[in-house]
Amino acid sequence: MGLDHEEQHIKIPGYLGVFAVLVVGTILTYFAAQIDLDWIFPGANTLLALLIAFTKMTCVMLFFMHVYWSPKMIWLSAVASFFWLAIMFSYTMQDYLTRDSGVFTP
Amino acid sequence: MASHEDTGHFHYHEPGLQHQFEDMGQQEESVSIGMWMFLVQEIMFFGGLFSAYLVFRSKYPMAFAAGSNHLDAFWGGLNTLVLIVSSLTMALTVYFAQKNKRNMQVIMILITMAFGATFLVVKLIEYTDKYNHGLVPVTGWNKKTPPGTEEHATGPCWEHSTEEHVYVNPKGEFQFPDCSLAKLAEEEGFLTKSEKIGYYNPSTGQIDGNKFRDKVRIFYYLYFVMTGLHALHMIVGLGLMTWLLFAAWRGDFSFQYYAPVEMSGLYWHFVDIVWIFLFPLLYLLGRHFLH
Amino acid sequence: MYNAEAISAAGIPKVNYLTNGFTLKSWLLTKDHKRIAIMYLITISLFFMAGGMFASAIRLELLTPASDLLESGTYNRVFTAHGVLMIFFFLIPSIPAVLGNFMLPIMIGAKDLALPRVNLLSLYIYWIGGAFTVWALLQGGVDTGWTFYTPYSTTFSNSYVMAVGLGIFINGFSSILTGLNFIVTVHTMRAPGMTWFRLPLFVWAQYATSLVMILGTPVIAITVLLLAIERLVHVGIFDPSIGGDPILFQHMFWFYSHPAVYIMILPGMGVISELISNFSRKKIFGYEFIAFSSIAIAVFGFLVWGHHMFVSGQSIYAGLVFSFLTMVVAVPSAIKMFNWTATMYKGSVSFDTPMLYGIGFMGLFLIGGLTGLFLGATGLVVHLTDTYFVVAHFHYVMVGGQVIAYLGGIHYWWPKMTGKMYSEFWGKISAMLVFIGFNLTFFPQFILGYLGMPRRYASYPEELQVLNIFSTAGASVLGIGLVLPVIYLAQSLISGKPAGDNPWMLPGLEWRTSSPPPTENFEKMPVVTWEAYEFGEDSGLDIEEARRRIQPTASV
Repeated sequence: MGLDHEEQHIKIPGYLGVFAVLVVGTILTYFAAQIDLDWIFPGANTLLALLIAFTKMTCVMLFFMHVYWSPKMIWLSAVASFFWLAIMFSYTMQDYLTRDSGVFTP
Repeated sequence: MASHEDTGHFHYHEPGLQHQFEDMGQQEESVSIGMWMFLVQEIMFFGGLFSAYLVFRSKYPMAFAAGSNHLDAFWGGLNTLVLIVSSLTMALTVYFAQKNKRNMQVIMILITMAFGATFLVVKLIEYTDKYNHGLVPVTGWNKKTPPGTEEHATGPCWEHSTEEHVYVNPKGEFQFPDCSLAKLAEEEGFLTKSEKIGYYNPSTGQIDGNKFRDKVRIFYYLYFVMTGLHALHMIVGLGLMTWLLFAAWRGDFSFQYYAPVEMSGLYWHFVDIVWIFLFPLLYLLGRHFLH
Repeated sequence: MYNAEAISAAGIPKVNYLTNGFTLKSWLLTKDHKRIAIMYLITISLFFMAGGMFASAIRLELLTPASDLLESGTYNRVFTAHGVLMIFFFLIPSIPAVLGNFMLPIMIGAKDLALPRVNLLSLYIYWIGGAFTVWALLQGGVDTGWTFYTPYSTTFSNSYVMAVGLGIFINGFSSILTGLNFIVTVHTMRAPGMTWFRLPLFVWAQYATSLVMILGTPVIAITVLLLAIERLVHVGIFDPSIGGDPILFQHMFWFYSHPAVYIMILPGMGVISELISNFSRKKIFGYEFIAFSSIAIAVFGFLVWGHHMFVSGQSIYAGLVFSFLTMVVAVPSAIKMFNWTATMYKGSVSFDTPMLYGIGFMGLFLIGGLTGLFLGATGLVVHLTDTYFVVAHFHYVMVGGQVIAYLGGIHYWWPKMTGKMYSEFWGKISAMLVFIGFNLTFFPQFILGYLGMPRRYASYPEELQVLNIFSTAGASVLGIGLVLPVIYLAQSLISGKPAGDNPWMLPGLEWRTSSPPPTENFEKMPVVTWEAYEFGEDSGLDIEEARRRIQPTASV
């Protein structure tokens, strides 16, 4: 096991393709932010921006960082770190979102 | 080494193989897992700041939107593209190292470094712009105008967006006179609980420009800390690239041994990913309110 | 129980890691994990003594109700110094950096850790962080408590917050690099045949600890950084006057500091698994359960930090969630306790010094862990928060737990690390003194806390003096018990009997190389064909012979 010596899983056109996706994503997120999408539901703009950011990040991780061809341990590390971020965010926010909520306050 | 004599084998030591490893595969696997563990902890390091961002954005969304609108999304977007290009060239550096193409490696590293430096220059331009407009959250760290030129703003703070402002800042304080987004939210009825207390003067019951400004100051504090920490990581990345440049120039890397290039690439891509999130979260919050 | 006949006739091997270079440079620039472990051992012992001196000052002050020996401001600095030194510079590194560094590669059959230079860097960073902190403490230290709560630490404290914070920040990277190294090593450096489920439980415990180090330590780093920035520029997100939230500091601080207590106990539990199984001469009961419970504690430990903040102003709903999860996280620890007890049942238990520490751990950690549940219950905690009940609880788990496990591990592996045996008589005496002294020091504190004595106060009501005197008396006994090992262990280096490869007659991989081991750990890389803790015929050890040689206790 180790780095991928066997063959170039991704060649230059592949890298350029990923690059194109990233650039398109950036331009898309810039212009989507100018349009008011809050009529769909409040926070729709933010959700779209985050979805685009997640897609870009996934492209960079899978293809530029070669996670797609990496051993399971690497996949697990990448996923676990986001899971831990999620723990930190959600358990912190559960305090802030429930303060003075009227639930269980005497 | 004792173990080699014991087994009676002659060990061909591949270039760069360290003594504690049996073979290159084990070394590469170890270095790869080690680097990813380092990136995991870096993710948690930045994660703390994103956590703080999340808390205050959910408390004071209008202040965050107002602050965000005064960031230049053009420069931010340009920086995003700059980093994406540098990520591409970094990935290509690894590609060319695998292909034993020394000259292409060096060219790619140079381009990566050039774009990295461009990123930092643009950051400097942005920070200078904040300095010039009184948007650095620390008193005294903004451009000072001569004393005695104080001007009293007229009208309530939510009408300031339509006024022409002359920059007056004798003490170099943080200035944010425009609270129109708070007024908008009040009228449309989507202020959060914290905002209903945090923006208002308790005695007059009106939106208080100074209190709103304080919340915007939190936004700018997080902006500077997050982008500053990111820029610091960028500088470290450039240092790493400098070392890589010399090693690649020397011809150290080949099909058998290119792990250092790949590992440096992982770090560089990580720095790119952090920015991919920083850009929309800091620069693109409140644009849709402007139309 | 070790037997004189078990000692190898050759004595100490001539070529071992200690004789491989005698210059200062060969030590300071070493890549040998064993030498790095020894250097950690020396530094950690110094920090322990420094922290202990501050503890003595606290107990002396608390002999009398009035704040007469130390006035309040000084007392604040003293208990903060005690906490900072003990937690960040002793407890967190102790077992991983000393016993983990030394034994982990040997236990998995490797020549060294995967990244030896990173290991050396970790040591250097520890020294630098420690130097900063000691300098800051000598300048006058910090009076915020080791928890650095805002807004006192950011705005009002007139002490060396930033310097101590910087020392802790730097030290955090030492922890991260050690954890990183262990994870990589366990994944890639296992000898042929050493599958995951043949690993000693000490290795599983170190692995779980390393996961916590990687995931948690960066968060305290960023928290301390934000604290320092706010203190420096007088603007920040923890300042309520501009809309910030001081409770956010607590959230971020405890996100690390609660898992940190699992960094402080999991390695100890790993040592105890080794001690209980080996000194009962019986395969550990429920190997997989203990292994997975270590991972479970590491994971669940990240979900309970709010139990340090029940009365801080966090929402009651959050308090409920954290309280429930606190009850859940006790379960894996309980599983371990049951398994250790079941291991001892019908085993051939020998009460050597390490085993005394092991059994002591089981009793003391039990009390500490159970009182943690008292504190996790939202109703009870309102009465007990910030009282001596909390102080007693965490000393039971940290001292009664980790320190006792650390001492047990040191005594257990001392013959392997140094090639010498210490005096069993004095070992047993110290173990008894530590156990008795510890209980006399901290059990009265449960009662004091229940009666309402606040923590971090230099003075207290008159009627609480008797219990405080017991506590200080106990501390004196504990102090003697902790100083004695320094003496007899040092003495063993000079005139102790050579221990031989396997003084305890045990099947573990570390006992199949010489004491002290050669620099590359094994003469020939082992191929593992036996299960962990295998005391049967397949282990290659004649256990019947060992049992026949067991003599009734005789002073040596």
